[in-house]
Amino acid sequence: MADQGSQGKQLLSRHPSGVVFTIQNVVSTVNMDCKLDLKTIALLARNSEYNPKVCTGAKSEQQSKLAARKFARIVQKLGFPAKFKDFKIQNMLSSCDIKFPIRLEGLSYSHDAFCSYEPEIFPGLIYRMRQSRMVLLIFASGKIILTGAKSEDDTHAAFENIYPVLTEFRKIQQ
Amino acid sequence: MADAFCPDCKRSTEVVFDHSAGDTVCSECGLVLEAHSIDVTSEWRTFANESADNDPVRVGGPTNPLLTDGGLSTVISKPNGAQAEFFSSSLGRWQSRGANPDRNLILAFKTIATMADRLGLVATIKDRANEIYKKIEDLKSIRGRNQDAILAACLYIACRQEDRPRTVKEICSVANGATKKEIGRAKEFIVKQLEVEMGQSMEMGTIHAGDFLRRFCSHLGMTNQAVKAAQEAVQKSEELDIRRSPISIAAAIIYMITQLSDDKKPLKDISLATGVAEGTIRNSYKDLYPYSSRIIPTSFAKEEDLKNLCSP
Repeated sequence: MADQGSQGKQLLSRHPSGVVFTIQNVVSTVNMDCKLDLKTIALLARNSEYNPKVCTGAKSEQQSKLAARKFARIVQKLGFPAKFKDFKIQNMLSSCDIKFPIRLEGLSYSHDAFCSYEPEIFPGLIYRMRQSRMVLLIFASGKIILTGAKSEDDTHAAFENIYPVLTEFRKIQQ
Repeated sequence: MADAFCPDCKRSTEVVFDHSAGDTVCSECGLVLEAHSIDVTSEWRTFANESADNDPVRVGGPTNPLLTDGGLSTVISKPNGAQAEFFSSSLGRWQSRGANPDRNLILAFKTIATMADRLGLVATIKDRANEIYKKIEDLKSIRGRNQDAILAACLYIACRQEDRPRTVKEICSVANGATKKEIGRAKEFIVKQLEVEMGQSMEMGTIHAGDFLRRFCSHLGMTNQAVKAAQEAVQKSEELDIRRSPISIAAAIIYMITQLSDDKKPLKDISLATGVAEGTIRNSYKDLYPYSSRIIPTSFAKEEDLKNLCSP
């Protein structure tokens, strides 16, 4: 069952460059170990939405877990024998700003195997990091979006990886 | 005149090559050493009896290595004088039922050829597009996708690979029913499949404004001087930090150059020739305007002319 969260929370990163990134979205799943009648829950519980498409919104790992627990409690109150099993974060999306413009074409030329840059289709460069299985959207303004992480550490690691590359392709304005 | 071993004379003798009959003849005893030698020089045509009806010299069309057997096939043709009766007869039915293994392929090639004709593309690009289509053709995963989008994407990739890129919008205009999004997705898909199959030899560089400039300028009928100035301007603009699609930048530069020349093109014409929306050209022009002195070459327009440039 998918989890729904609410507020945003800024997390300081331990990154030497001093760049802070904000986690925008966390998708997680939890096994309640009992059959749930989704329609009943949707009708009875006050702030629930039965949407067969997964809806998410938690802004931190802890918030996500907290929200999942709260939801399990609500389901319990409705009369289902719910348990809190196998809470797992499926995806974490974060964004950050490195505050300098980037030469996307140069980057795509040198890292040809990992990059996909089609300015006609999408203004950002799509960087698929093989070893960490993450995807980064890199924009010419210097804003980066990292997705595919299962934890904050994954995000940090990927960012550490890409930062030197980005400084290498910094756009020097004359 | 060459030396070869003649079996009759039992020694090396001078040999004459008779072009008319294609014979290699020993000059001493007259023995024909090789007859019917195949002429590998370029083709020639006989214009003597140029009748459109039957030229018995040629059979079938040019060989196409992409089709099975090179496109050889046997056809039951209509007997002379027969009309409707032929197709209802058994012979006619057997011919049209024929299980040609390449039917889909031939249809796809035909569609690509039509699209290429509409865009005025050379045969090299068309053939490359055919090759690309053949490579991805029998993968199950394309069955679900829009066939038009796949063919359009093959053509788009072929143009890119031959260093003559066409904008996705241009390809859209000749592909019936495929949207820009669909073609973009199909292109990503095909590139990934080709990488898997051919082991990463897809060399497709990023597009630049300069690649399209000549074409856009010729659509608008700009003078040579203006075209050269536009090309220089585009070169210089690449150093600037302008966050716009290369096509929009090209359109904006064309607009700037034409405003500076005597032959001012209205925004509508430029929008039509480049496929960029008028609003986008205006916005890109706004971005470029502060750098106008840096990008417009001084040989084309002096400082005062730049003042005449309307501020967006």
